[in-house]
Amino acid sequence: MITSSFPIAGGNFTAAGSASRMLKEQLKRIGVEGQIMRRIMIAAYEAEMNVVIHACKGNLWVRFDNKRFNMEVIDEGPGIADIALALKPGYSTASAEARQLGFGAGMGLPNIKKASDVFEVDSRAEKGTRVRSTIYLKTQTVGEPTDHCLSITSELCNGCFDCLKACPTRAVRVWNQKPRILAALCIGCTACIAACRRGVFGIREPDQKKMPQQSVAEAGQDTLVIPRAFLTQFGLKIPPRLVMAVLRILGFKDIRFSEEWEEELRRTVRRYAAEQDSYPVISPICPAVVNLIESQFPSLIGQIAPFMTPIESAVEAYGLQPVTFVAACPSQYALLTRADLSGRLQITSPAGLSAQILPLITAQTETDRSEQKPIPRPPRTGNHDPTVLEAWGMENVIDILEKTEKGLSGDFRILELSCCVYGCYGTPLFKENPFMAKNRWAASLLGRRRQVSAAPTNSLYLARTGMRLDQDMGKAIEKLARIDELTAGLPGRDCGACGAPTCSSLAEDIVMDRNPGLECVILRGRGES
Amino acid sequence: MKLEELVKVIDARMLQPGRKEMGEIAHVFAGDKMSTLLEKAGPETLLVTSLANTQLACVAELMDCPALCLVDGVDPDPSLLEAAARGSTAVLVCPFDMFETCGRLHRRLYGEGPHRP
Repeated sequence: MITSSFPIAGGNFTAAGSASRMLKEQLKRIGVEGQIMRRIMIAAYEAEMNVVIHACKGNLWVRFDNKRFNMEVIDEGPGIADIALALKPGYSTASAEARQLGFGAGMGLPNIKKASDVFEVDSRAEKGTRVRSTIYLKTQTVGEPTDHCLSITSELCNGCFDCLKACPTRAVRVWNQKPRILAALCIGCTACIAACRRGVFGIREPDQKKMPQQSVAEAGQDTLVIPRAFLTQFGLKIPPRLVMAVLRILGFKDIRFSEEWEEELRRTVRRYAAEQDSYPVISPICPAVVNLIESQFPSLIGQIAPFMTPIESAVEAYGLQPVTFVAACPSQYALLTRADLSGRLQITSPAGLSAQILPLITAQTETDRSEQKPIPRPPRTGNHDPTVLEAWGMENVIDILEKTEKGLSGDFRILELSCCVYGCYGTPLFKENPFMAKNRWAASLLGRRRQVSAAPTNSLYLARTGMRLDQDMGKAIEKLARIDELTAGLPGRDCGACGAPTCSSLAEDIVMDRNPGLECVILRGRGES
Repeated sequence: MKLEELVKVIDARMLQPGRKEMGEIAHVFAGDKMSTLLEKAGPETLLVTSLANTQLACVAELMDCPALCLVDGVDPDPSLLEAAARGSTAVLVCPFDMFETCGRLHRRLYGEGPHRP
């Protein structure tokens, strides 16, 4: 993953284009060329010129890996009064000076949109404009996987190999008692975190540079988006209402729950499914399940409802505003970091925010005992739609997706699949039992409904190429044959003692030369090579 | 077609030579709007324009466009030639107006009949 930032000076037509030129140099070095380079350059130059023509200053941020190129251009300008009009080809508000130089044809935003796979523009009057563009890079470089968002504390590993068996995409290796993730295969599902009894795996803690020690209010981030489960992690004596109060003391004036967007997505997908002819429609409710489908079930991608995942919709809702997000799992963390090119989001793990509020909670509980009684509330009954299949747990999710591939789930209109029990309540990053956590939330009566919307998306979901054996297809075929040959010679016990989850994974690791000296422990014991 | 041949067709002066190994020119695009020039420019395109500012060279460089042709015998700003040199873009100046220049190039590249690549 590469992240870069290029400043843009408004009104300077002489220096204009330098950000795009620097970006091009960077892209050339990693082998981007042809049509993809053309599209990126059109989007970058048009966006840069928009800043030069209309704003006093701005910045072009880019982040790309071997799958996607993401660009975000934010300016400090007058903003766009009517975005729909600005997107109309031929409409321009450029100055006479700009027009004299050949700009102001009213094709800037339409050109960026045309060049992009995903295009978004957001603007606030007198505050500025943000243009986002995603362009999919079609080529995948061998051995250069995308980044993953797990932290690994190798010193804690005792080599039990539980993580090897737990990973649904066989992305984990344990070599010399050091776990490693093959990032191109990782879907950010938390299976390894849940499986490890020694806490080797976790979610990455945010960059310290982005988590300054100043107060929330000083940092200008008084909006917080958290999973509801976060409020129920502090036991019986510290109810959600008290945690909310402490978060407010910390400076968060507006506290929102990611489930608000999740519930809106459920409603939106129900409306969407009602207009479809083929079932089931898969709701993109859990980003890790979306990753799983992109990676392991590409034939089902077309069945995913064309909306963003709830956490992405939440990011969209806040536009240019700085917001603090608590990521409940590595896949959410990955989405948030991908969405945040300009650094306006503060992303933290549940543990990170807990560490900030725990001292305050202790002080509060001593003074505020009245808040400790949970209010009982009868469980909801009825209104359950049997054609909406809500399921969780990785084994169940994989089983249902396999059956869907075979056409054995057409009696359900919608599949709402989550990796964790009760969605984010069950993430292993939370310590409280998910069933207790969910009911404690329900008892807290904190759920007031506010208007949110599920953001639509076009062509966002696409098959992940995973780990390609070789850029050259001929060589890839040779390697595949070698892997098959090696696998046939291995015992086939999939014992994991070599550090790879299966014998075929070991064969692939040997052929790809991922770690020198790899061998089958059983064959070595027999004296065979 | 080689750029040198097209230079003769339009009686152009080459103010700035382009890259050493200049390939064939397969397309010509004429326009006065930067956005359309940006969209149409490519590695085998000659851009013909009555603009003459530095940003032209920037667009050509970003889109790997090998050559620019300025019409009406314009005397371009030295900064345009400097920027073109940095991007190895050839700069021609043609004495004819846009209509005549395009007519000559079209006739030479595509013959008399109506044709759009």
